[in-house]
Amino acid sequence: MADTNRLNFLIGGPAGAGVATMGILFAKCMQRAGLNVFGTNDYPSLIKGGHNTYAISASDEQINSLMGKPDMLLALDQLTIRLHSKCLSPGGALIYDSNKVKEGDIAEGRKDIFHVGAPFTEMAAKAGGEIMFNTVALGAAVGVLGMDFTIAEGLLRRIWEKKGEEVVQQNIAAARAGFDYSRSELKTPFKVKIEPVKRDKTMFINGNEAVVVGAVKAGCKFVAEYPMSPSSSILHLMAGHEREYGIIVKQTEDELSAAHMIAGASFAGARSMTATSGGGFSLMTEALGMMGMMELPCVIINSQRCGPSTGLPTYTEQADLLFSLHASQGEFPRVVVAPGDVEECYTETINAFNLAELVQAPAIILLDKYLSESSKTTEDFRKLQTGVERGRLMSDSDMEKAEGFKRYAFNSDGISPRCLPGQKNGLHVCSSYEHDETGFSSEEAGMRVAMINKRAKKLAAISEELIAPTFHGAMQSQAEILLVCWGSTKGAAIDSLRFLAKAGIAARVMHLRYAEPFPSKRVLSALTSAKSTLIIEGNSNAQMREHILKKTGYYIEKAYLRYDGRPFIAKDIAEHVKTTLKK
Amino acid sequence: MATVAELNSGHTPTWCPGCGDFAILAALKGALSKLNVPQEDTVIVSGIGCGSKIPHFIRTYGFESLHGRSLPPATGIHLANDRLKVIAIGGDGDGCGIGMGHLVHTMRRNLNICYIVQDNEIYGLTTGQTSPTTRKGTKTRSTPNGSIEQEVNPPLIALAAGATFVARGFAGDVAHLTSLIEQGISHRGVSFIDIFQPCVTWRKDLPYSLYQSKVYKLEEAGHDTSNFDAAIDRTRETDRWPIGVFYKTDKPIYTDEIPFIKDKPLVSQDISNVDISKFIEEFF
Repeated sequence: MADTNRLNFLIGGPAGAGVATMGILFAKCMQRAGLNVFGTNDYPSLIKGGHNTYAISASDEQINSLMGKPDMLLALDQLTIRLHSKCLSPGGALIYDSNKVKEGDIAEGRKDIFHVGAPFTEMAAKAGGEIMFNTVALGAAVGVLGMDFTIAEGLLRRIWEKKGEEVVQQNIAAARAGFDYSRSELKTPFKVKIEPVKRDKTMFINGNEAVVVGAVKAGCKFVAEYPMSPSSSILHLMAGHEREYGIIVKQTEDELSAAHMIAGASFAGARSMTATSGGGFSLMTEALGMMGMMELPCVIINSQRCGPSTGLPTYTEQADLLFSLHASQGEFPRVVVAPGDVEECYTETINAFNLAELVQAPAIILLDKYLSESSKTTEDFRKLQTGVERGRLMSDSDMEKAEGFKRYAFNSDGISPRCLPGQKNGLHVCSSYEHDETGFSSEEAGMRVAMINKRAKKLAAISEELIAPTFHGAMQSQAEILLVCWGSTKGAAIDSLRFLAKAGIAARVMHLRYAEPFPSKRVLSALTSAKSTLIIEGNSNAQMREHILKKTGYYIEKAYLRYDGRPFIAKDIAEHVKTTLKK
Repeated sequence: MATVAELNSGHTPTWCPGCGDFAILAALKGALSKLNVPQEDTVIVSGIGCGSKIPHFIRTYGFESLHGRSLPPATGIHLANDRLKVIAIGGDGDGCGIGMGHLVHTMRRNLNICYIVQDNEIYGLTTGQTSPTTRKGTKTRSTPNGSIEQEVNPPLIALAAGATFVARGFAGDVAHLTSLIEQGISHRGVSFIDIFQPCVTWRKDLPYSLYQSKVYKLEEAGHDTSNFDAAIDRTRETDRWPIGVFYKTDKPIYTDEIPFIKDKPLVSQDISNVDISKFIEEFF
């Protein structure tokens, strides 16, 4: 029985073979067919060799994560076949380069699967160059699915047109060769068929890319960063658009410098950000405290990976939550937000810039490897309502009239008017020492208490609406269980609802974005009115459970925790919930 | 433009009586009053230490950062608004100990900022420990048997790292120091000024009189400031201690290669409604 427009696809090969590039190319074919697509990569910390995969789910239903075992496996080397062919769904297709993989080694005991073994390398050489073996493979995959060739052709033209017509034609010829080969090999139609769906154009974008687009939209003008997986693509993408958008992108000598540079740029009035992972964020903690003391708006992105220390550099984890909430000595307010999907990566980056300026404090955006590097189709970002709000920043004309201006003036909400160097009547020192209203350093007991209290008040200016958790799935009154998650677990948690519904279980998801400020009232109300609750998070200590307990007094007893470096999978969550409810 | 009196912040410095920082403050104020820069367009960025309190005693914009970190925020301020005059200042521990990485990298970037090291060869505010510039064999509270390590030579490091203006001043000669700071701030590119600064509390073995007997002026010794090799040689002298300009050259500055801030600095660019249409094309 043909399954229309529901596909799980896995590509595997050594690092350096272009596994992710191919994956994204194929995913874009599905995107152009009007499907919802999710794609994610898995790779070790090396540049050549090893074993990389790119997994894709495509569907005409809304999907937010990987939906199941691969129906189609594209193997660029022998290892891929050995590791993954046993996972192929019944009746699945195995596509491989017969120039590199020997027939005899293939998937013992799997008589049910289709074999499409084509000499990709040879075919690519005929089309114009061995380097296009990827393109041949893409064509072969598209051919298996019974798709029209025009989508692949249009995509290849779009990608290669900058290189000239000859390159375009060679690539189309390479893809065509693969396409024709699989068409002739398949005697019966493959179990999955892709039939293009008409819809508005979508974007296919990953978390890091969405953050960069958000930062550009938010008017970020200065980026200082030291490379660190999995945040480095933020540096690359920003640097690639430096001149087009007038953003200075500075690769620094270390993360200390990166964080201090953005503090300086922020003091001078430019919207500034840095991006790193946990190790780099550790080095930035001294600057974080300084931003707190100086009341400087800065945006710091921490794309979490497995820690502690070097840990698993290219694998995912959600274990920096409590660290981000408490990093640096002393007490000061900060914003900590963990977007759940690419759309939130975009909107919450813009919010982070606005909130940092509203409350004149650092804002930390918590991503993780999985969110940073997983791509998803999403609606055109231009349809989302956003704006630039600069808080109590004084204009030049405001300052022309200012008399007796005090940078850290006390007022009811703790947020003082902010002036910038270059403006008249605002001379002051921005100091890492405790200081008085003018900025002059002060160790006087009364002033110390007044300043701590002043700063502590500021987060109250952030609206509860903005930081509210989102709810998905069954109504509160219907749901047997409330699944509590945060950050990147959102997609798999929401997708688990579909599997649970099939099993007759009504469940509801509460997704938390803001850890600081925290929507205590709404969270407590949701927890206390739920029939049962389960926390799902990617660390071993259930850090968000601890945070919720601290903020609401409610302890979520049951936890589903994952800390093997791999992301949550919707089906696994559903299975866990089923078991939990049986007990 | 401000007079020296207008540059007084109204706060009394907290340094020990006789500290070299008083002379450095006077020279900095003198240099700023001679240069035609409005107070609001001047930013003095410091680290942490005795000398790093200096922004509180000059009426300009100031940024008192963390220990060793004056240069990164100075870089950020300069790149965000290159119309400002940015002067970074801090001690020898600040610049050559905890902040050494930033020193080397800031010099090689040839940013249009001035960096002054208040070099008293001791950690003062932490009560008298050895510093990177403390000469080998010196007894301090952390090296009671004499320091074992070879000392750092700040002007030599600045030269090696690519600074385009390298000088050394002496807190015992305010007029000369004022001129050096004025030249340093006026220099188009990164300027590095190391200042011999007696610490009257923790380095009684290194008094004004010893400096006075050792220093000589490069400009009076016929030194050619355009000769890099000669500059290197002068920084390595140990019997006599040269002050003045070691080296000066003109090279393109960092911001010369950033076309989009030619007309307007970053902070003046309109960010109210950035159009992302072209950017997101690549994701369709």
